[in-house]
Amino acid sequence: MDHANSGPSSWPELADVVPVPQDDGPSPVVPIAYRDGFREVMDYFRALYFAGEQSPRALRLTTEAIEQNPGNYTVWHFRRRILEALDSDLLEEMNFVEKIAECNPKNYQIWHHKRWLAEKLGPDIANKEHGFTMKILATDTKNYHAWSHRQWVLQALGGWETELQYCNKLLEEDIFNNSAWNQRFFVITRSPLFGGLKVMHDAEVDYTIEAILGNPQNESPWRYLKGLYKGENNCLVADERISGVCLKVLKNDWTCVFALSLLLDLLRDGLQPSDELKAILEPVRSSDPETADADLAITVCCILQKCDPLRVNYWSWFKTTLSQISDPLVVSG
Amino acid sequence: MGKPGFERAHHVAFFDAMATELPGDYDKQEVNHLTLSYFALGGLSLLRELDRVNKDEIARWVLSFQVHPEAHTDVDSGLFYGFCGSRSTQFPLSNVKDPCHNGSHLASTYSALAILKIVGYDLANVDSKALLQSMKKLQQPDGSFMPIHIGAETDLRFVYCAAAICSMLDDWTGMDKLKAKEYILNCQSYDGGFGMVPGSESHGGGTFCAVAALHLMGFIQVDLASNLNDSASIDMRMLLEWCLQRQVNDGGFQGRRNKASDTCYAFWVGGVLKIIGAYHLIDRCALREFLLTCQSPYGGFTKFPFDRIPDIYHSYYGLAALSLLEEEGLEPLSVELGILSSAL
Ligand SMILES: [Zn+2]
Repeated sequence: MDHANSGPSSWPELADVVPVPQDDGPSPVVPIAYRDGFREVMDYFRALYFAGEQSPRALRLTTEAIEQNPGNYTVWHFRRRILEALDSDLLEEMNFVEKIAECNPKNYQIWHHKRWLAEKLGPDIANKEHGFTMKILATDTKNYHAWSHRQWVLQALGGWETELQYCNKLLEEDIFNNSAWNQRFFVITRSPLFGGLKVMHDAEVDYTIEAILGNPQNESPWRYLKGLYKGENNCLVADERISGVCLKVLKNDWTCVFALSLLLDLLRDGLQPSDELKAILEPVRSSDPETADADLAITVCCILQKCDPLRVNYWSWFKTTLSQISDPLVVSG
Repeated sequence: MGKPGFERAHHVAFFDAMATELPGDYDKQEVNHLTLSYFALGGLSLLRELDRVNKDEIARWVLSFQVHPEAHTDVDSGLFYGFCGSRSTQFPLSNVKDPCHNGSHLASTYSALAILKIVGYDLANVDSKALLQSMKKLQQPDGSFMPIHIGAETDLRFVYCAAAICSMLDDWTGMDKLKAKEYILNCQSYDGGFGMVPGSESHGGGTFCAVAALHLMGFIQVDLASNLNDSASIDMRMLLEWCLQRQVNDGGFQGRRNKASDTCYAFWVGGVLKIIGAYHLIDRCALREFLLTCQSPYGGFTKFPFDRIPDIYHSYYGLAALSLLEEEGLEPLSVELGILSSAL
C-alpha cells in the first residue's frame, strides 16, 4: 500500500471515528512489544467492528489490519461479512487474497479465506485455483498449505484432467520430492477419471520400479511401492517384480538399506528366496560367524545392523521379533 | 573446537527475557499470544526456573481470556466458550453488534489450560461446563474439529487440542471419541505416517497430533509389544518404521521424507516414539549432538544447526526434546500433554 507512515488516523474518511483502545486487562504477562502502527490500526478496527459498520471504508480498514496482522481471524471474519453485505466482486477479492498469500504463503487464515471464496465461486474457478497453487509450488514445492488447498479444490471443485501429468512433471524435475509422490498417490486412488488403485496398479508398480532403479537411495519410491500393496502383504510377496527390484539393486550394492528392508519384509511375510538372491547374500552371510547358520531374514537383519548404524537398535529389536516367529514354543505360548 | 555442551545458563537468560517481553517481530503472531506465552513459561518450567515469574498474576491473566456465556444466552447456540488467543481477538460482549463476535479458539484454549497447569492452578476451579458443552459443537460430522465457530480449517491439530483439553479437565463430554478416532485413522497415509487431513502427506506434527490424541483417548497402550499386537486400530508397524526413518544422518529428525532435519521434529517425532514405547530404538547420542548444534549463541534454539537467531517455538521444542532425552537439569515432560510430569 502507498500510505507508509500514514495510518488510519490520517485517513479523511475516518475523521469521525473515535478509536477504541485495547483493554489490556489485568497486568499483562509475557507482553508483546507492539509496533505503533499495529495498535493504531487495531484501535480503529475495534471502533468499526463494535459499531458493526459494513461499509467501503470498513473494508479498506480490514485491508490495512490484515497487512499488519494477517493471522487475525476476527478481522478476516468481519471482512467476509462486509463483502457479503456490499455484494462485492469476489474475483477482485480473489486477486487481493492472492497478493497477500504470495507474501505470506504459510498463513492459515489467508488460505482459509481463499477457500471460502473458491467455494462461493464454484467449479468454474477450479483451474484458476490450480494455476495459483502451481505458482506457489513453483517457489516452494513442499508448501503444505498449497498442497492441502490443491487437494481440496480437486475434491470439491474438480480439475483432475491434468493432475497426473503435473505429478509426472514435478517428479521429473525432482524425483526426491515426496510431496509430489504423495500427490501421485492421491490422484491414483481418488481421481474419478482412473477407476481407482486396482485399475492403475500394474502401471504404477512399473513406474515406481523404474524410479527406484534410477535412484536406489531415494526412500520415496520404495515407500510408495509398498503403499501400492497396502494391507495385502501376500500380493506383495507374490509379485515377482518386487523381489526382483530388491535383487537388482542388491546386485549392484548389497548395502542398500531400503532394498534390504523391503526384502526383510518379504522374507518375514513368507517369501521363498531364489537361489540368485541367496547367492548375492551368501558371501556376507558366511563371512560373519553370527549369521553363518542363520536363516536369510536373520542375515538381512544383521546386515542392516551394520549398514544402518543410526537404527542399529531397531534392527536388533527386529531380529528378536523374527526369532519369536520361528520359535514354535513362543508362538504356542 | 570441542563439541558443544548444553548451555543451560544461556537458555535461562533467553527464556527469562522472552517471558519479560516478546520482541516486536512477534506481533505478526499476536493472535497466538497465549500460545507464545505457553512456550516462554513452558521453557522456564522445563529449566526449573518458574520462580522467576509471578504465578498468581499469570493465572489471573490467563483466566481473563476465557469467554463466559452471558446469563441469558444459550450455550447450545453454536458459539464456542473457550479462551481467546489474544487481546486483539477479544471483544467485550456487550459492545459488539456481530452475533458471532466470540473469538475463542481451540489452540488458545489448550495453551491457556496448559499454562494454568504449569503454574499450579487447580483446573477444578475453571468453569468448564460451558467450555466442554460448546466445544462439542465444533466437532464435524467426519470427526475432525473446527478451531473456532466462525469457520476455519479443520485438521488433526484441533483433534489433538480437543483431546488434550478433555484430558486436562478430566471430562470427556466435550467430544465424541469414536468419531475422532475414525477421523484420525483416515489421516494415516500409505507410508505409515499421518497427514494433517485425509490424503495429505505424512508429517511429523500431524503424526504427533494423531498418536497423542489416540493415546489420551485411551486407544494406544504404553508398551510397543501390545501396540503391535493390537491390530484393531492404526498400522503400528508402518508407523514405527515411518518415525524411525525420520532420523537422518546428522542425527536430527526431519518432519517429512527427503527434507532437512529440524529441531522441533526431535520433539514431534521423538514424542510419538515415546508414546508408543519405542523411544529406546532411536540413536539418542546422535540426536543429542544434533540438538546441541542447534543452540543459539544467545540462548534458545534455532530451527537448523549453526543458525544464529533463535525463535521461541524452536527454543521450546529444543528443550522439550532434550527433556525426552533426560538431559541433566531439565524437568521430565508429560509428552502427550506438553506439560511437566510434575504438573499433572
Ligand atoms: Zn521446526
